[in-house]
Amino acid sequence: MSNVIEINDYSWKYVNTRTPAIEGINLTVEEGNFVGIIGPNGAGKTTLAYSIDGLIPGQYNGIKKGTVEVFGTEVEDYAKGELQQLVGVVFSDPEAQFTAMTVEDELVFGMENIGLTLPEIQERLDWVTELTELSHLLMKPPYEISGGQKQRVALAAVLAMRPKILVLDEPTSMLDPVSRGRIFEVLAKLKAEENNTIIVIEHSLENLIPLADQMVLMADGSILLQDETQAFFQQSKLLLDKGLYPPGAMHFFHELKMKNYYQGKYPLTVAEGIDLLREIKGS
Amino acid sequence: MNKTLLGYVPNESPIYAVHPFVKLFFLLIVSLFPMFVTAPDWNIGLMFVIIIFMWISRVNMKTLKIYVPVAISMGTIIFISYTVLGGTHPEFELLARVWGINFYWERVRDALVVYFRILPMIFTMVFFLSTSRERDIIVAMRSVKVPFVITYVFAMALRSAGMVLEDFQIVRQAEQARGFDPTGKSLPYKIRQYVMYMIPLFALSLRRSEEFTNALVARGYAFTGEFSKVKRADYILTHYSYKYFDYIFIALIGIAFIALLIFRYGFGYFLVEQSWLMRILHGAVS
Amino acid sequence: MAEEIKTELSAEEIWTEEAGEKRSIGVIHIVITALLIGIGFVVGAFGSISFPLGFGVNFFWTGIVVQQVGAIWFGAWGVIAGAIFPFFSNAIAGTPFYVSLAYLPANAIQAFLPAWAFRRFKLDPRMKSGKDYLFLFLAMVVSSIIGALWSVLVVLKGFNLLTADSVPLFIWGWFGGNVVAGVVFNFILLRALSAVVIRTTAFVKKWWA
Repeated sequence: MSNVIEINDYSWKYVNTRTPAIEGINLTVEEGNFVGIIGPNGAGKTTLAYSIDGLIPGQYNGIKKGTVEVFGTEVEDYAKGELQQLVGVVFSDPEAQFTAMTVEDELVFGMENIGLTLPEIQERLDWVTELTELSHLLMKPPYEISGGQKQRVALAAVLAMRPKILVLDEPTSMLDPVSRGRIFEVLAKLKAEENNTIIVIEHSLENLIPLADQMVLMADGSILLQDETQAFFQQSKLLLDKGLYPPGAMHFFHELKMKNYYQGKYPLTVAEGIDLLREIKGS
Repeated sequence: MNKTLLGYVPNESPIYAVHPFVKLFFLLIVSLFPMFVTAPDWNIGLMFVIIIFMWISRVNMKTLKIYVPVAISMGTIIFISYTVLGGTHPEFELLARVWGINFYWERVRDALVVYFRILPMIFTMVFFLSTSRERDIIVAMRSVKVPFVITYVFAMALRSAGMVLEDFQIVRQAEQARGFDPTGKSLPYKIRQYVMYMIPLFALSLRRSEEFTNALVARGYAFTGEFSKVKRADYILTHYSYKYFDYIFIALIGIAFIALLIFRYGFGYFLVEQSWLMRILHGAVS
Repeated sequence: MAEEIKTELSAEEIWTEEAGEKRSIGVIHIVITALLIGIGFVVGAFGSISFPLGFGVNFFWTGIVVQQVGAIWFGAWGVIAGAIFPFFSNAIAGTPFYVSLAYLPANAIQAFLPAWAFRRFKLDPRMKSGKDYLFLFLAMVVSSIIGALWSVLVVLKGFNLLTADSVPLFIWGWFGGNVVAGVVFNFILLRALSAVVIRTTAFVKKWWA
């Protein structure tokens, strides 16, 4: 698999701030990978997401060092609007990203911006509304639907542009558990059916872990840990030190390990935990 | 019910069959009518026509209530302007003299002429606002090829106006939760209240502008450069098409305007001197 | 590192581009224009409905704040917004379409003059000195005089809506309604938010970027 994102010694400092938001990070993402990024607030996760989409340095003033390459080209070298066809970003506050008066207009806006024809727009609209189950809401104002529906609209609007890389910045931070689950259902479908590279910045690990191929831990503008999901979560102590609480099953086995009742790998999900307990009980 | 710029109009309203451009055309052209008509009879007639249109469109007439104070205040101001502040004119017909103020027939007549010119203009605006949704205005502008950036600024402005109103409620509730109660307070206190609203409103809006810009850029919107020249498909217009009656309406509005100009300047119609309403009123007061 | 933090910018620095500084028109400016039209629409309509004198002339027109502070911060974008939004706020408050349209130059000049004064005389939008207050006040007064004269003499007289004797009342109404609201809000708003605004990408140093 080829690398779609290559970040080398990258630092970014916003103007009028004392410390860089991101300092000297290196990150490589392979095509088709699902990457979860976690970390405490102020870790630089959003800055990283904006850097991949070219919002930084395009829309912000600051000082950049190092390189951020997407599909082998430095983000700054893309023409205005070109990079956004390759990288789609979904922000945490769905309402702040609405650009139109109806859900349908919202979904169509990006497609019109990149110059799609009417038949292409219609085809993608059908696809994306089916994928995100929004067909019945097309004529509604996006501000008058539920929080979960709003975020699905925001996601669908980006998906309709068919970006090769999808970056979601805390897409479920404002949602209840059910709505959160539905967003991840859509992501699971995308992972299974499309060859998108997906990067999700998220605090809700229960939903993220089953989908993620790779995990990244950020803190204080640096990447502290980057590994395949299973290996990543074996570093539970580091995660806990950074104030990140792993999901229940994992935490339970971590506590067992600390008390020397268990020595194996941590399960990633409750189902894996149950299987593990069965094994332990059977042995 | 569909939310319009000024209230709600039922889904079954026949106004939705009319192309949005026709409504905009109506506003732009019919608003001009009273400017060429000085006889109040015709302007009152125009108001009735607009009220009939509103009734046919099933506009909730209660929305008109908010304009009652405006109409009264405007009428009062015009009346005072033309009578109390109308000056001394021995050449005019004196109707009455109250507390040293002369009330001349010509001044009262002129006040009525102006007032009944203003009212149908307001009615036209109210008809447009109460039958148009934000999307209609965008469609109307796009259908006559107004550049996208202008249309979109307009759409964003409408949206931000809505957001400001929501923010205003939030700020007000927050102020009240902290014991801020302007009821029965003095004017300086109330002015201070507006200051307290204005600062958070501005701060919130400015923060939103950054998020909104990011969203636009992320959706591939470019204001300058190559991608700003992309030909837009205007998908929104596929939901709207001109029907035969739209062309009839446009033609009727256009013909009515041309006829008005011909009759006004060619044959001297629509003048206040020909107004039977004014003749009756003059007979009653003199 | 070269990026030593400047905690306090001088008034001169606020309006001057640094060597090598690149500023360009961006989507943010379009958004700001729309946003100011939206805020002005609400705030201006509130003034027009709450304190009416007639035909969009008010005893206390809160819209002036959006017009003048917006143009000081965002240059030509604020001027454009300041010229356009009264058209909508007046319309919703019951001013006829073409009367509102004819107010456009008056509103443009009211937005432009204070913005020009701040750039021309390098005044501090954070209102740090007496000079800032004095010049802003003068700009408010002069722009409101021009606005009042245009609106009342050209528009209202032009549309034959007023008698010659009532013209002074409307001129004073327009002028006073703007200046009083401006005095109440402009200084406070500039003091409270300028320090933040001048550090955003939306802030306009010259006229367009």
